[in-house]
Amino acid sequence: MTHSVEFKNITKYFPGVKALDDVSFTAKGGEVLAFLGENGAGKSTLLKTLNGDYQATSGEYLLDGRPVHFKSPHEAIEAGVSVIYQERQILMELSIAENIFLGRMPANRFGWIDIREANRRAQEIINDFGLPVKPQTKVKDLSIAYQQMVEIMKAYSRDNLRVICFDEPTASLSDAEIDALFKIIEKLRNEGKVIIYVSHRMSEIKRIADKVAIFKDGRYVTTCDAKTTDDAQLIRLMVGRDLGDIYDNLDRDKEIGDVLLKVENVSSDYVEPVSFTLRKGEVLGFSGLVGAGRTEVMRAIIGADRLRSGKIYLDGKEIVSKSPHDAMSNGIVYVPEDRKTQGILANLDVGKNITISMLDRNSNKIGVLDQKKEKDIVEAGIKDFAVKTPNAEKKIVELSGGNQQKCIVARWMATNPRVLILDEPTKGIDVGAKSEFYHMICRFAKQGLGVILVSSELPEIIGLSDRIIVMSNLRIAGEVMRQEATEEKLLSLAMTEGGKN
Amino acid sequence: MPDKNNVWKKVKGLIPGDKLILIAALVVVVAIFSSLNSNYFSWTNFVNILVAASLIGLVAIGHTYLLIAGQNDLSPGSVAAFTGVLCATLVSMGLPFVLSALVTLLAGAVVGIFNAWMVNKIKIEAFIATLVTQFVFRGFAYILCDGRPVSITDSAYLSLGSIRILTIPLSVWIMLVLILVFGLILAKTKFGRSVYAIGGNKDAARLAGLNPQRTVTILFILMGVVTALGGIVFSSRMHSGQPAANVNLEFDAITAVVLGGVSFTGGVGNMAGTILGVILIQAFNTGLIMVNVPSFWQYVARGALLLFALASDYIRKTKREKALLEASKKALAS
Repeated sequence: MTHSVEFKNITKYFPGVKALDDVSFTAKGGEVLAFLGENGAGKSTLLKTLNGDYQATSGEYLLDGRPVHFKSPHEAIEAGVSVIYQERQILMELSIAENIFLGRMPANRFGWIDIREANRRAQEIINDFGLPVKPQTKVKDLSIAYQQMVEIMKAYSRDNLRVICFDEPTASLSDAEIDALFKIIEKLRNEGKVIIYVSHRMSEIKRIADKVAIFKDGRYVTTCDAKTTDDAQLIRLMVGRDLGDIYDNLDRDKEIGDVLLKVENVSSDYVEPVSFTLRKGEVLGFSGLVGAGRTEVMRAIIGADRLRSGKIYLDGKEIVSKSPHDAMSNGIVYVPEDRKTQGILANLDVGKNITISMLDRNSNKIGVLDQKKEKDIVEAGIKDFAVKTPNAEKKIVELSGGNQQKCIVARWMATNPRVLILDEPTKGIDVGAKSEFYHMICRFAKQGLGVILVSSELPEIIGLSDRIIVMSNLRIAGEVMRQEATEEKLLSLAMTEGGKN
Repeated sequence: MPDKNNVWKKVKGLIPGDKLILIAALVVVVAIFSSLNSNYFSWTNFVNILVAASLIGLVAIGHTYLLIAGQNDLSPGSVAAFTGVLCATLVSMGLPFVLSALVTLLAGAVVGIFNAWMVNKIKIEAFIATLVTQFVFRGFAYILCDGRPVSITDSAYLSLGSIRILTIPLSVWIMLVLILVFGLILAKTKFGRSVYAIGGNKDAARLAGLNPQRTVTILFILMGVVTALGGIVFSSRMHSGQPAANVNLEFDAITAVVLGGVSFTGGVGNMAGTILGVILIQAFNTGLIMVNVPSFWQYVARGALLLFALASDYIRKTKREKALLEASKKALAS
């Protein structure tokens, strides 16, 4: 019997975000369906809707043709829908067999667990998968690839497994491990399971997927045949525009000024010593893999984390920032990576979010706020940065992600900074707003600010930066000028073991 | 009829909806207890309610700030008893009342610094950290007076409870004026704004250039000082400093503040709600006594009131989230 999953007009709202917009697709048993899309296209929301972590605001979710309403991942698993996430969801201190049968260990009628029966049945599955491990082994003693296999076996051990989804399963696997994983995926496919495979890696999708469903900005675009559609076409469908145009049309600063910021051997508990300079009117990119230490460098510079060593000079004069407040007074401001947990103040309105860093300058000697001054700053911020909001009294979380981010930028620009640090400023915001941000960044550079742009999106960092510093393993691995920057070059530097200093 | 509707609309415009519910609840409480005991509905009794509320009101000022900033304090009951005993002891040793009161307020500030130190530096949750203080200072209150109440004969000290302006005792005026002043500070100053910001998101507030640790320290000091003031006022009313007094004071103050619309999760609320909450809870407590509810059952009733306050906090929160979702749906649909 072949299984099927169907989404009909699924829409999902979060405050400030329409994560899924009228999404419809069908996945059939016996084939691998890949989900392809940029960051923020809605893939992870889709997976979480599939496994009951989220409930759709509207629309229908059909499993084998019957509508289902999962209230929790537990219900989805019971119904035969499992998602294998990047982060392991197994218990490290338990054995392979105990993990596979967690919550439904074979037991006699007094509830006494029969560990030998569990091990025997686990061994059967391990044999099925052809793995060289023992059911008694504790999961913490396995490699990451095998830990992932345990999760797959756990899903597989359910007689009623119908749908299995993989979220970037190869992110931390070696080539040989990927081969082993693909063999198992093929086995599952041949057994008629529905397989959904989420990945960024085009070559893998070509290899394992039969069909590719493409998503963009929370919408379903189309489904293509994986073998016959070429890469360029897939990318065009996924991006929906030619990025080259956006970057080419930017009004870039031709002239770069004197050294503005000099960072010398700066380190914290979270990053090794780094040194670099930033010039007036320059956009300096910081590239590297997630966890390479880029955010940590910025946090050290603005005094969010305590410096362990190093000195920072602005206009040739040494400055000391013991807190983000000091850094702001020194003229260095930071738009954080995670807008939701570090940027916005969700309980306050748009206006108060914009003026929060100006409290000192907007109040008199006894600390009473000047409402007129505040109002002027808010109105200027909303206008200058084209924040789409009906009024300043709207709660900031009611705005879209891009408009929330504009408020954070407006907050900092009101303080009249010299150095603006943007950490993943366009993460999870739509294409239109992205292009607005790119123009904004160029405008700031033209005004003579030094801009540091931390970004994981290679086209973005290549398209915007005058110079790019690549980090790897908490150190600077290299520096690339704009003219010679290519995605390959940045990636190979980012993958350097240990980096150099 | 249309005239009446207009007047009603104007009133509604002046008082936000959530406060209207509180006023309605107050009317219901007063109506019920008045029907059960005819003495309840009298000016004398209302003044008595305000007098009894003055200590809760002072402590509630501190709780309003702390809860909005996402903190809490379980120590005021013990600290009020300790400071009451301290001030009475100092006066009985011959120190002038004003000087004794100043030393006592300073002691309250030191308690606040201690609480803030535990929260900021040893990173203990305020709820647990202040439980330590609650125990330690109840102990100090007994140690200081060897377990015996310290009687007060100093006339300046006693005048706090006896002087009346417009038939209302000085202690009530102190509470009302301070609630007004601190309400304005919360609403109109940069300090007040930073309290809301920190309660909304401490990390984001720090990255935005605020200093959450310093603000939290100031808030605990404020709490210590208003509690000490409450302790002085209360001992004056009792004519003695009593080490066993004010048990569960923080319980009443937190109930009042949450009833008034301050969220237990921080970032939301204001002082106007607090004053209504304070009056409501004291009207309730006094009513229970006046209609002779057995004291054991009073505990149950007060627990029920706290449950009601917390449940309504939860309902308000769910409503806010729903409204947000609806609003962003509308904003994004376009």
